[in-house]
Amino acid sequence: MLPYILRRLWQMLPTMAGVVVLLFVLFNWVGGDPSYLLAGKMADARAIANIRAQLGLDQPWTVQLWIFVKQILSFDFGNAWSTGEPVSHILSSRLGPSLTVLVPLTLLETVIGIALALAIAFVRGSLTDRLVMVACTVGMSVSILVYIIAFQYGLAYKLGLFPVQGWGEHFTENLLRYAALPILIGLAVSIAPTLRLFRSFVLDEVNQDYVRTARAKGLSERRIVWVHVLRNAAIPIITHVMSNLPALLIGAFLLERFFGIPGIGREIILAVERSDFPVIKAITVYVAAATMVFNLLADLMYQAVDPRVQLA
Amino acid sequence: MNQHAAFTVPAGLWTLAWRRLRADRVAMLALAVVGLFLLSVLLAGAGLVAADWEDEVAVNYAPPGFVGPDPALAALARPALPAPPNAFDPLAGELAVLQGELARRGGGVQAPKAATLPFGADKWGHDVLKKTIKGGQTSIVVGLVAALVAVALGTLFGAVSGFYGGVVDDVFTWFYSVFTSIPSILMILTVAAVLQARGVATIVLILGLTGWTGPYRLIRAEYIKHKAREYVMAADAIGASNWRKMFIHIFPNVSHVALVQMSILVVGFIKAEVILSFLGFGVPVGVVSWGSMLNEAQNELILGKWWQLAAAAGAMALLVTAFSLLADALRDALDPKLK
Amino acid sequence: MTHDLLEVRDLRLAFRIDKQRSVEALKGISFSVPRDATVALVGESGSGKSVSSLAVMGLLPADTTLVGAGSSIRFDGRELLGLPLGERRALCGKDIAMIFQEPMSSLNPVFTVGFQIGEVLRLHMGMSRREARARTLALLDEVGMPDPAAKIDAYPSQMSGGQQQRVMIAMAIACEPKLLIADEPTTALDVTIQKQIMALIAALQKKRRMAVLFITHDLGLVAEIADRVIVMRQGEVREEGAAARVLSQPADAYTRALLHCRPPLDARPLRLPVIDDVLAGRRAPGAAAQRVRGYAADDEPLLVVNNLAKSFYVREGLFGKREFQAVKDVSFTLPRGKTLGVVGESGSGKTTVGLTLLRLHRASGGSALFEGRDLVAMSAREYQPYKRRIQIIFQNPYASLNPRFTVGQILLEPMRIHRIGANDAERVAHARYLLGRVGLPESAFGRYPHEFSGGQRQRIAIARCLTMKPEILVCDESVSALDVSVQAQVLNLLQDLQDEYRMSYLFISHDLSVVKYIADRVMVMHHGSVVETADSDELYRNPQHPYTRSLLAAIPRPPHS
Repeated sequence: MLPYILRRLWQMLPTMAGVVVLLFVLFNWVGGDPSYLLAGKMADARAIANIRAQLGLDQPWTVQLWIFVKQILSFDFGNAWSTGEPVSHILSSRLGPSLTVLVPLTLLETVIGIALALAIAFVRGSLTDRLVMVACTVGMSVSILVYIIAFQYGLAYKLGLFPVQGWGEHFTENLLRYAALPILIGLAVSIAPTLRLFRSFVLDEVNQDYVRTARAKGLSERRIVWVHVLRNAAIPIITHVMSNLPALLIGAFLLERFFGIPGIGREIILAVERSDFPVIKAITVYVAAATMVFNLLADLMYQAVDPRVQLA
Repeated sequence: MNQHAAFTVPAGLWTLAWRRLRADRVAMLALAVVGLFLLSVLLAGAGLVAADWEDEVAVNYAPPGFVGPDPALAALARPALPAPPNAFDPLAGELAVLQGELARRGGGVQAPKAATLPFGADKWGHDVLKKTIKGGQTSIVVGLVAALVAVALGTLFGAVSGFYGGVVDDVFTWFYSVFTSIPSILMILTVAAVLQARGVATIVLILGLTGWTGPYRLIRAEYIKHKAREYVMAADAIGASNWRKMFIHIFPNVSHVALVQMSILVVGFIKAEVILSFLGFGVPVGVVSWGSMLNEAQNELILGKWWQLAAAAGAMALLVTAFSLLADALRDALDPKLK
Repeated sequence: MTHDLLEVRDLRLAFRIDKQRSVEALKGISFSVPRDATVALVGESGSGKSVSSLAVMGLLPADTTLVGAGSSIRFDGRELLGLPLGERRALCGKDIAMIFQEPMSSLNPVFTVGFQIGEVLRLHMGMSRREARARTLALLDEVGMPDPAAKIDAYPSQMSGGQQQRVMIAMAIACEPKLLIADEPTTALDVTIQKQIMALIAALQKKRRMAVLFITHDLGLVAEIADRVIVMRQGEVREEGAAARVLSQPADAYTRALLHCRPPLDARPLRLPVIDDVLAGRRAPGAAAQRVRGYAADDEPLLVVNNLAKSFYVREGLFGKREFQAVKDVSFTLPRGKTLGVVGESGSGKTTVGLTLLRLHRASGGSALFEGRDLVAMSAREYQPYKRRIQIIFQNPYASLNPRFTVGQILLEPMRIHRIGANDAERVAHARYLLGRVGLPESAFGRYPHEFSGGQRQRIAIARCLTMKPEILVCDESVSALDVSVQAQVLNLLQDLQDEYRMSYLFISHDLSVVKYIADRVMVMHHGSVVETADSDELYRNPQHPYTRSLLAAIPRPPHS
């Protein structure tokens, strides 16, 4: 096991290097010169030159690259260009609210998805199955924007069941009051694609030979689906959920924006609107690193749950 | 064992697939709906339909015809009366000259504004129906072209990577890992932030250049699988060159995967464009898309004006549903479970 | 009147393909399985033998299976068709048990062997966890599993094919069933393992006095273990009776055909009889004359292989590689117009030898001299003109033809690459001629491979090779995936072509009877090395090496005709 982990970590280095280079090329080369942006409309040449010196943009690109790498390793990207808040503080303080919405959402979505997928497996091929699949397709065709706008307008504004926007100081209050509607909307949006995916995993298993053997042994259909099939389908489900976790952090950006939740996703949108490069760079780099680590964790979990796999 | 004399026409993959698809009524309906949308795209693109969407032909926030005119806006429907003369107006003289010019050229009389339109009007009196059609053209074209770019790149990279293996595969896989470490939304937003120029071409490039990873992974896996198959070994044994093996022997067995990928990506990119335009990172001002319509609709909803939201959301939902159903049916029809 | 244990009467079964059409699988079959006896159900692919057993177990999908009215399956006097699902399930695994052909996929990969066997005990016998575990250990011991205490907590993927099948058997006999249905349980196993499993089933049958319904396509297996034999063809029962009688004096023409189409171990007719010949009552042309085989002293050697080696590398540890030697040190000569047979079990390296000669694998060492040039040491460019002179026919007829090409395109492709023929019109004419030569109609030219059967696809593959007029043809298990009757046709064709074109064959197979029939010389391989090489008659008469002896002893004795 340990040699495998070490080898994977070793293989991650070129990828990380590639991400760093890609971002560097994007921001320092394609992105053009931000000093004009930051200097304001009425700046003169000297002010612009000042800003460039401050940002270190007058240095040769090798030095700039080294500065970038140092920033990544020391978690210090300086201050945000638009608000002056230290970037590291932005990252650490916004992580909490994002997780308050995402963790319950992921748990609920996975559990409900599995339960529904297994239930559908009982009636596979029937009219019910096809109707549910068409309903999923229709559900997925409506833009998430419409869900958010409609739910926010209907349940929060008109009916007053939930607060329209906002975030509080205390964790429980946040979880139960402010995060409730976003979580509900997140569920409504994600249940359809999750159900489709999990259903395909389950159906792949149901058609396998070992299910025929289980029937030949006289096992009940319920036991076959809930014990034999589930245990096998859990493998792709777990790896899917694990590898998707980092992307979820960003994916909730619309929810955070609409509901004023001070999370990572909302921060990214604001940073893009304001062309706040340090914030964007920092978030992108760390999310990329998190994705690689979670992929490794997913592969390790894969080995733990699937006895056929022996990671060399 | 027995010779199949059943087929009178040699039935290749596409013929068989078309037969299966034709038998599926839902798929045919979906195909018809998609065809209608594509037709509207062509007509709108050629300027034959909805070219005048920017004309302010109606009262601000005119309700749809089936709801009935809003009495509160009746006053706006009447043509504007000329302003009464004002002795203190310093510009009166120049205005009189201008109005004289205008009258001579034939303009100046405003057409009466409509009180209702088939699907209502937006804040400035634009026809929502025309906006929906024109907006559809933008969103659909972006989706189609971006999907084409992404699938073309992904297929080419995947074919070369999967077939040759070794160092070539390592390089492409490294490239792929770098791109997929960054969640696609983040990638799109980052590139959008960096590219200051806005435009339809920019969005297409952004989506296409970030979306190639999905097709790449699938096509690469297919090439790796087929390369080990005996018919490719046979092609090798009879002396086919690498290029020949890749594109004449293997590609026909893999093209259906590329096609299905493309249909999936079209759906994903239409949805992505809508979100991007909604956030303001998509189409520039002056170009209408379903995303920009949803952007306006967000504020209109508070005022109780729901028709722009309904039109954009409804049209998009209809197209995406039809396309998704078609993509599913296509995948089932192309399923080459040929023994 | 005592009933037989299982009585199938007038069973009619069809499968629905779509709303209008259905395909008949069983056309009204009747047979019986008495208690405490082994009954063999024999047939080729498409005969309906597996379908019948699945119908008895109730494992056919309910929504697409149409059972004809008047069909009856009685088990121990009880009618099974129409039985409520709960009662059916109570029978399965307890009174009737079934084992399948592919043990690897038939076992659940994520549960231990002990769990899966214990499940049956706890469900049907109401045992507690501890009781079930103890009983499972005893069962594993009874089926001959080495080291049961360790294996009980192992996963299926950690065992060999033979051990997996033993687990399946243990699971099946756990609740002392009255009837054991075995659906081709040894087809996927090596010949030596097959022998062990057959012996195990026979021993268990005697000890527990259960009835065994043994389904197979191999009449040779049947002779050893069956009391009664039922022969099926295309959904009908052709013959039923005591094994000794059916095998020595078959009443039905099809049974006779099945018995005669196998290459006999003690004779070598010029042509093998083909099913159609036997059914029509014809004598196969050249059936009486015998062919003499063997290398002659004056044979000119066409291919001389010395010390051929091929290793594969598997990654291990942090940076290391582990070597797996598939082919260790193989040497042989192949004269013009003769056939060298290469036999061995799976993992012996025989297929790798063939693929390496064609440079589909890169050799790790050794030489292969063809007309004085070393084929494995040449560069790719130098080798290109040799490609048309050495060709290969693969095992799997379903995978070796490009599914997207028409037959015509498949045949034209090599001609285009090697620029055979002046223009496409000539090539098309040549392709049509070759189709006729291999016994396919000209209309095949425009059809796709999936429209043809396995035997026909192999002919197309042979025609493809013939377009290039090769001098050496490697037949890599080329007839192993074919039914016995079709095998005979393809073997006859290969022999005709060898006589006409004077090609040399490298015939790789695990089937010893076929190899004896077609090969002049035989090379036996085991774990990558050559164990013994001799003229074929000599080898079978007088095997020297112990491994060769065990291989020959494991051949199921064919019934005497």
